[in-house]
Amino acid sequence: MAQVSDFLTPSELQKVANLQVVARLVVEGFFTGLHKSPHKGFSVEFAQHRQYVQGDEIRRLDWKVFAKTDRYYVREYEEETNLRATLLLDLSGSMRYAGQGGTSKADYAIRLAAALAYLMLQQRDSVGLVTFDSKIRRYIPPRSSIPHLRVLLDELQAAQPGGETALGNVFHDLVPRIQRRGLLIVLSDCFADAKELVKALAHFRHARHEILIFQILDRDELEFPFTHWTRFESLEKSDAHRMIDPAQFRAAYLDNLKKFQDELTQGCHRHHIDFVPMVTDQPYADALAQYLTRRLAKG
Amino acid sequence: MTFLNVILLGGMAAAAIPVLLHFFNRSRPRVVQWGAMHLLDAAFQAHTRRLKFERWLLLLVRCLIPVLLALCMARPVLTGMRALLGGAKTSLVILLDDSYSMSAGAGATSNFAQAKEAAGKLIEQAGSGSDVAVVLMGGTPRQLLEAPTLDTVRVTKALTKLEANFGAANFPEALELAANVAAQMQHGLKECIVISDFQKVSFSEGEAAARGRALQAMKRLPVPPRLTFFHVGVEARDNVAVESLDLPKLALGVNQPLQVRATVRNFGERAWPDLRVYFQADGRERGAQQIALAAGEQRQVLFTHTFDTAGFHTLEVTADADALKADNSLAAVVGVWDKLPALLVNGDPSNEPLKGETDYLDLALSPAMKSAGGSDLILTRVVLPGELTPEVIARARVVVLANVRQLTDTQVRALAEFVANGGGLLVFPGNRINTDWYQRTLRAAGLLPLPFNTLAGGLEDGKPRAKIVVQPFTHPALELFNDARNGNLADAEMKLWFQLGTRQEQNDAGLSILAQLSTADPFLVEKKNGEGRIIQCAVPCDADWGNLPVRPVFVPLMQRLVVYLASQAQPPRNVEVGRPLAAFVSRAHVGRKAHFTVPDGERHEIEITGRGALGYVEFVKTTRPGTYTLAGPDGGATPFVVSAPRGESDLRQLTEPERKALAESLNGTLLGSVADYQQMDKDRRFGREAWKPLLWAVLFLCFSELVLVQWFTRQKGGKP
Repeated sequence: MAQVSDFLTPSELQKVANLQVVARLVVEGFFTGLHKSPHKGFSVEFAQHRQYVQGDEIRRLDWKVFAKTDRYYVREYEEETNLRATLLLDLSGSMRYAGQGGTSKADYAIRLAAALAYLMLQQRDSVGLVTFDSKIRRYIPPRSSIPHLRVLLDELQAAQPGGETALGNVFHDLVPRIQRRGLLIVLSDCFADAKELVKALAHFRHARHEILIFQILDRDELEFPFTHWTRFESLEKSDAHRMIDPAQFRAAYLDNLKKFQDELTQGCHRHHIDFVPMVTDQPYADALAQYLTRRLAKG
Repeated sequence: MTFLNVILLGGMAAAAIPVLLHFFNRSRPRVVQWGAMHLLDAAFQAHTRRLKFERWLLLLVRCLIPVLLALCMARPVLTGMRALLGGAKTSLVILLDDSYSMSAGAGATSNFAQAKEAAGKLIEQAGSGSDVAVVLMGGTPRQLLEAPTLDTVRVTKALTKLEANFGAANFPEALELAANVAAQMQHGLKECIVISDFQKVSFSEGEAAARGRALQAMKRLPVPPRLTFFHVGVEARDNVAVESLDLPKLALGVNQPLQVRATVRNFGERAWPDLRVYFQADGRERGAQQIALAAGEQRQVLFTHTFDTAGFHTLEVTADADALKADNSLAAVVGVWDKLPALLVNGDPSNEPLKGETDYLDLALSPAMKSAGGSDLILTRVVLPGELTPEVIARARVVVLANVRQLTDTQVRALAEFVANGGGLLVFPGNRINTDWYQRTLRAAGLLPLPFNTLAGGLEDGKPRAKIVVQPFTHPALELFNDARNGNLADAEMKLWFQLGTRQEQNDAGLSILAQLSTADPFLVEKKNGEGRIIQCAVPCDADWGNLPVRPVFVPLMQRLVVYLASQAQPPRNVEVGRPLAAFVSRAHVGRKAHFTVPDGERHEIEITGRGALGYVEFVKTTRPGTYTLAGPDGGATPFVVSAPRGESDLRQLTEPERKALAESLNGTLLGSVADYQQMDKDRRFGREAWKPLLWAVLFLCFSELVLVQWFTRQKGGKP
């Protein structure tokens, strides 16, 4: 039977303007997809056993206790301690790139951020949002209330990418502002100096933050499929451009990309940072799964 | 360089297409708003120089392709400076092999017919205004016409009449002649074309040095001709030739049996089980024999004939064999003498029988006449030294000086002239001779081979004796005694003899020692003087100093010596092609005309010149084998036979690689057909079309472009 999650490809969700709807579709679709998963009930924690009374759900009976005591007990759970998560959304010019799929990296990141915020608030985690390009544009501290979702979604809805990237500086600036330790979820293409970026992330780690980086790239940036003479104009600097025959530079470009990716991956690994490369044609569910895995580990 | 389709050169403008495409692509680029500029910038900075080089290389290759394609389609012709020579007139020298081997094959397909056809085409192709000379290589090389000519029709007509039977090919001399002829020709562009069957015998390695000299002569010309070798004909497998005729070397008398030994050789691979060989004398068949001749075998056939009249007689031996007739027969002329007048000068006459100095000799030279009034070949006349006048001398063929003390200067001069004109002189010593005079006067006049030095031995008993050493004799006068049945020279014993000259004098190059004594002193010595010869003996011709005159061997020995000396009086009647024909005639005819009739019937008038006491006539145009006839002013006819050497009968030809090596050794070009020559000449004059290499170059460039693109693309990661 077709499930909602089957349709939740970025290109399909591109057609849905309302971020809340998008977030709901993504998250519900995700959980529907997880129905058969062995990880059910992972968001709550066991508290105590209670005598079975009529009306309790049969599935909550603890059969092991019944076997020992010959009495019916049900398992009671208490909610997990709130997680403080902050979404760091890169809105620099390079995030405007939209390849053949039509979804820009920024759109993808915004929708993913909305879905993550929805999911986390559903789980009663605190969610905050930082948007930035070369500087911090907006900082919304984490809250766990449901109405907070509206605040976040409004901010996301209004977000417009532009300007240059300075991830390192931004992150350094953020460290003193996010004082309580929590989970930082970075949504960016990470197109910056890799060393500086890793250094800034290490700064976060020093402040005992957990970091999950979703590096959002377009398929074109991974494969460089251009063939004819092309004028590449920078999305961040208006006067920067290169007029080249792409076929002649493809290998060198891909080589540079690989080195860049390797440097980032190794830097993150060194500082115990989860680095998840995402492509804009990839389902959002993959990102949610990554988050939840991380959340479970945090548990 | 010129172009056959100049207009298509416009296609070279297509070279601009890659450049234009390049700029067109650059002028209308796709614009991409790009995020990962830092990655692109790094790639651009790292590879831009190499990529620029690759781009220019590709652009160059792509531009060259339409340029070369346009060049190819315009059909360029490489001419160098030849464009100037395109219509230039040529001086053409054709060396045509007319040796008799060229007549192998039949009729129109004979090698010579093909050679003539090829020569005709080459002359025709030379075009108007070109001067042409044909040098014939057979026998003595000569020109077909007297001089190079612009009248090619005349040359062609003369060629048509030409037959191939003019002796063996003489390539080195022909090449030298061609160089001389080319030097006289007027045009700057000179061609020398050798048309031959390239027989091995004519182009052997042994003649490489001579060929090299001829080539040097050609190179010394201000404008050396270009040498081209043109092979014609096929190698004939069958050939039988009468290789030689072995004739008596001494004069033959009337009614004396003549033995002719003919050597017949099969040069081919086919056996002749019953080959008929027949003998003709004076044009009539006198005998025939059937012989079997295996492949490669050589056999001798003996014919005997007697002539009953004096004079010169022709004889011919013919083998009735293969189609190459030129060497199937061999002719010769023999002289038959009625009498050989010999003048015996008696230096010690005596009234007693056999006591005179020449008595034994007179008997020995004409035994039949002396004994029974019969007829002898040698007609002797004995005179005293005082009677020896120039007139008396002139009537003799041989003069014998027997123990003559000395002669007057006039007599010596007359004798010297007699010898120089072909007369024979036989000198015997004795007890009366003035050895000083012999040394000072006679030897100084060239009439004494060695001085009479000292006497050896002694007449007394107990003195050493000497005998003639018998050994295989090679001299014609003594060959007879190689057969013991004809007498044993060793029977004679010498008591007293003259030692002739010193060792150094005996080693004189012009001197030959015919026989020696057992004491190692010379017994008979011979020397040539002018046309005649002198033979000197170490002992007298009487019996005073030994017993030689009383030995049976004395008669044949003296006869052989006198006949030998008499035989040398006339120039040879049998010569090879190219050698001059010569004859002495009466002095009275000097200044008058004699006529030589050549084998094809043409008569040549020759002036008789004086030579000593005789008139002399010489004919040098013996280019054709056959019988030549000399008609003197008095009407008498003397035949001569000119024959070709039989080396040509070996019809094996040089192989293709050998011909090529020959051509290369002479800086020439070997061709197989007239068409090849025409193409080569066209290339030389008008250049060679170069579209083929250009097309290959275009294909190569296309392929290179493909490879380069693939290679560069692979290096850069290629297309996605």
